[in-house]
Formats: sequence, C-alpha cells, structure tokens
Amino acid sequence: MPNIKLRSSDGETFEVDVEIAKCSVTIKTMLEDLGMDEEEEEVVPLPNVNSAILKKVIQWSTYHKDDPPPPEDDENKEKRTDDISSWDADFLKVDQGTLFELILAANYLDIKGLLDVTCKTVANMIKGKAPEEIRKTFNIKNDFTASEEEQVRKENEWCEEK
Amino acid sequence: MSSISAQGVVERASAELSKRINGLGLRGSKHHSTKGGSVMERVTNVFCGGGGGGSAAGQLVVDDKFLARFFLYFSPCERCVLAQVCTRWRDVLYRSPRFWTGLVPVLQCREMRAAQGNERSRLYSSLLRRGFHNLCLMGASDEDALDLINSFPLASKHIHTLSLRCSSITDRGLESLLDHLQALYELELAGCNEITEAGLWACLNPRIVSLTLSDCINVADEAVGAVAQLLPALYEFSLQAYHVTDAALGYFSPKQSNSLNILRLHSCWEITNHGVVNIVHSLPNLTVLSLSGCSKITDDGVELIAENLQKLRSLDLSWCPRITDAALEYIACDLNQLEELTLDRCVHITDIGIGYISTMLSLSALYLRWCSQIRDFGLQHLCGMRNLQILSLAGCPLLTSSGLSSLIQLRHMRELELTNCPGASKELFDYLREHLPRCLVIE
Repeated sequence: MPNIKLRSSDGETFEVDVEIAKCSVTIKTMLEDLGMDEEEEEVVPLPNVNSAILKKVIQWSTYHKDDPPPPEDDENKEKRTDDISSWDADFLKVDQGTLFELILAANYLDIKGLLDVTCKTVANMIKGKAPEEIRKTFNIKNDFTASEEEQVRKENEWCEEK
Repeated sequence: MSSISAQGVVERASAELSKRINGLGLRGSKHHSTKGGSVMERVTNVFCGGGGGGSAAGQLVVDDKFLARFFLYFSPCERCVLAQVCTRWRDVLYRSPRFWTGLVPVLQCREMRAAQGNERSRLYSSLLRRGFHNLCLMGASDEDALDLINSFPLASKHIHTLSLRCSSITDRGLESLLDHLQALYELELAGCNEITEAGLWACLNPRIVSLTLSDCINVADEAVGAVAQLLPALYEFSLQAYHVTDAALGYFSPKQSNSLNILRLHSCWEITNHGVVNIVHSLPNLTVLSLSGCSKITDDGVELIAENLQKLRSLDLSWCPRITDAALEYIACDLNQLEELTLDRCVHITDIGIGYISTMLSLSALYLRWCSQIRDFGLQHLCGMRNLQILSLAGCPLLTSSGLSSLIQLRHMRELELTNCPGASKELFDYLREHLPRCLVIE
C-alpha cells in the first residue's frame, strides 16, 4: 500500500496509507485533481488541523477504513443519536474543546462518518437540557428581549407531537 | 453533500476574534498566541455567530448551514427547546418547515385571552413562518374563534388541519370558523360538548376529507347521518361516541364507499355484529378498520370482516374481549393483505390463535398487549414470521425469559415492546439488544 504524507498546521508530518487518507473527501479530491497519487514525496498541507487533532482523525479513519460508505442523507428525517458504537464512544471521551476541534476538522476534511458521530455526541450533550443550560454549555449569549423570550417560549412550549 | 467550508469558518472566526481582541467586546482570552483563538470561541462562532458586528453577513450563511445540519440530530420536540436558545438558532429553525413536521401548535385559549392583540397576531404569523398548516385550539370559546378570524386572516389560506379540544365553542362559533378556513380539509372535534348534531349539519362542507369526532356528548347517529350526507369525499373517519348504534353505520353513501378508506370506531359500545354487517356492505373498500373497544363484537362479526373486506391492511380489535381463536382463523384465512393487526386485551386468545396468525406472510406489525393466555409455545409460532418488524408483548404474564429469548430469530424486527413482562429480565434485554442491534427494544 502506498503511503502519503500529511502536514498539520503546526508543521508535524504524518505518514498514512493513501486509502486511509482518502476517508477524507477533501484529500481524495485533492489527490485526484492534482494527480498526486503516485508521487511519493508529495506532502499534503492541512493548515486547518493541528497535530493533536490530525492524530485523532487518523486514528479514527484507520479504525473505520473498511466501513461501508455512509448512506445518503435524508434531510427530512431526524437522525438517530443513540447508535454510537462503543469504540466511537470511547474514542470521543475527550474534553469538549477537542470534540469541537474534531467537528471542525471532520467538516474541513469532509469525513462524513466522523462528522456524523461527533455531531451525535454533541447533540447528546444538550438533549434534555433547558435553553439556559444549553447557552451555558456553548457560551451563547441570550440575545432575546424579555418579550421576545416570552413569545418564543409560547411558540414552542405550545407545540405537541401529532 | 452539505459539507461546509470549515476553512472559511475558521478564517472568518479568527478574523472576528482578532477584532474582539482589538477592543470590541474582549473576552479575556488566554489564547492570543494561538492562531485561531480558543476552540470554544471558534466553536461558539460556528454555533451562534458570535454576535459580532455587521460584517458577519457572509459568515452567517456558513454558520447557518452547519446549524441546519446539526439540528437534524434532534426530534421536532427537542427543536422546540433549541429555538429558545438565541435568535440565531430560532431563525435557522424557523426558516425550515422540515424541522417542524410531526408537531401541532396547541394554542391555550385561556392564556391567549390575557395577551395583547398584537401578541396574538405575532404568534399566528410565527406559525406561518415555521410552515405550520395545522392548528389546535384548546379550551376555545366562540369569542376565541372570532378572535382567530380577526387576528389571523391568512389562516383562511394556510390552515389545512384544525383541532378543537375541550372547547365550549357552540354551533355558531364553529360555523364562523369553518367559513373562514377555506383551505381546511381535516377537522377534529374532541370534547366539544356544546356542538350539536344540527350544528354539524350546518357547518360540515364537502372539502373535508378527514374527520375525527370524539368525546362530544351530543354526537350520535344523526351526526353520522350528516357526515354521510355532506362529506362525499371523506377518506378518513374516526368516531368515538358511546351512543352511536348499528343503524348509523348504514348511512354511508355509494360515493363514500369508494372514497372512505379509513374507519375507526373507538369505544362505540352499542355497536354489534349488525353494525359490522352495515360496514361491510356500505364500505367494502376499507383499508384500515379499527373497532377498538367495540366490546359487543364477536367472532361472527370478525368472520364478516374477513370475508368481505379483502383490502384491509390494518385491523384493530383491541379491547374486544369476546373475540376468540376462531376469529383469528378467519383473519388468517382471508385477509391476505393485512400488514398490521392489533389484539390488545383480547383475553381469550391462546397459542392456537397465534398459530393461525403466524401463517400470515404480509403481516409486519402485531400487537398482543395484555393477551394474558399467550405462552412460550405461541412465541415459537411467532418466530417463524420472518417479515415481522414490530411486535408488542407488553403485559403478557406467562412468557418466560427463555421463551422470549427465541425472538432473536426475527431478524427484521425494528421494534419490540416488552414492558410489564415478568419474564423479561435485565439479562434478557441485553441478550436481545446484542442479537437484534437494529431493533428498538422497549423495556
């Protein structure tokens, strides 16, 4: 298996199997577009991913390299969040900062499976929480006026499942 | 597909951040030295746009895209909480009707009355913004109906479904409301005790294709007469009324025999097998029939159904305690298209009856809650039903742990309900979940 070199934002270089690197659609497209496939010495710069996160991403991609491609998104359907595999759950036992870094990296590198499972993990963190707790979790400012807040409360508390 | 440019996000976020560090609402970050600032701040920017200056317009689009994706991981009910977090989240959610499907806004009329007129108008317009076409009024009086007509003129075009629950609205109020709602095709009246049968004669209009009448004290045979006469395009009719008799079920017109597909008669206690005769003659095209709680129905009634309603895909005979295994034999022999069968609280059913049902190849959902005679032997029959996707055995007291463990043979199961089963131990649930990973096992 040919290898490829990835360089993180802080200058560290990682050598990985091309097939594993191609879990990232961004890298895959880059290789195809630039025809970098066979050139051993090429280094792919990833200016948005630091070495700690890149290490995690490679670890995740290595474990999941033989996964079948994820099904097409059905945008109208609620996605499940209770189906995180135990390996992923262990893998994502990280601090909140790292978790969000992984989301950003998965987003940038376009690794659908990793983005999916990290989003699920964050979603599970706030499910069942009240608006104020969610604001606290994400450091979000409550920018409603008092009357807007009352309005939005009614608009939403008065919704029921059919 | 919907991947967002994280690079763009981070670049913009760090631009935003340096702006802040340069004195615009500095947050005392300790991460000046690192390129993008603290992760939390970058992410906060992704999640809520940071609330920075007007230059954020381009950034907002990108952020919204991520949020729109992230919000897919929540149920519509959970999104109701998310919309209350900040204006950004609210706006992203309100923009897409798809986030709200499956919900109905329930307006508490008593509380509404206390609000200012313009607050009510704002509430109504927020419903349109979220793409709601349905509306439920709780505790509505005639005045509330009139207020809706005045404050919500667009309802006439946009409201397709209306429920009135526990409301003191009278015939007059209902008539005005239905006059206003020109796009209405689905109506529910529940617990509206002022509505009379004369009122239904006056206000039902032929646009209505789905009607539910439940727990309205004045509803009896004459109401069914109005429905039969005035709603030629009726597709779905649900009725819960203790005083409706067999005769009412003979009122349906020939037009309705083609259009009416779904009939639910819940706890219509007076109905007997004679009523079933009327149903099978006047409505031969039913695909969904519920006689839940029509407790006078016996095996003979079920025989009539099985012989005459060959198009049935769903049959609910829950709380029909006179039904025995013989009824299940009729069902299994004749209803070849049946996909869903509900037999909750049919306490005379035994393993023999389950044996009949287990030959039904098209059946994908089977509910046997509180069928107290079913034993492990019956479960063995069920294990041969390869197409079964939903099974409830809640409250079946005689099933043992080892009997239930054999259910792992049902590879296509999506949902298995075992609440209140004495035989269902913690170990059993673990075992089932291990072997049926795709199945939701309800404890």
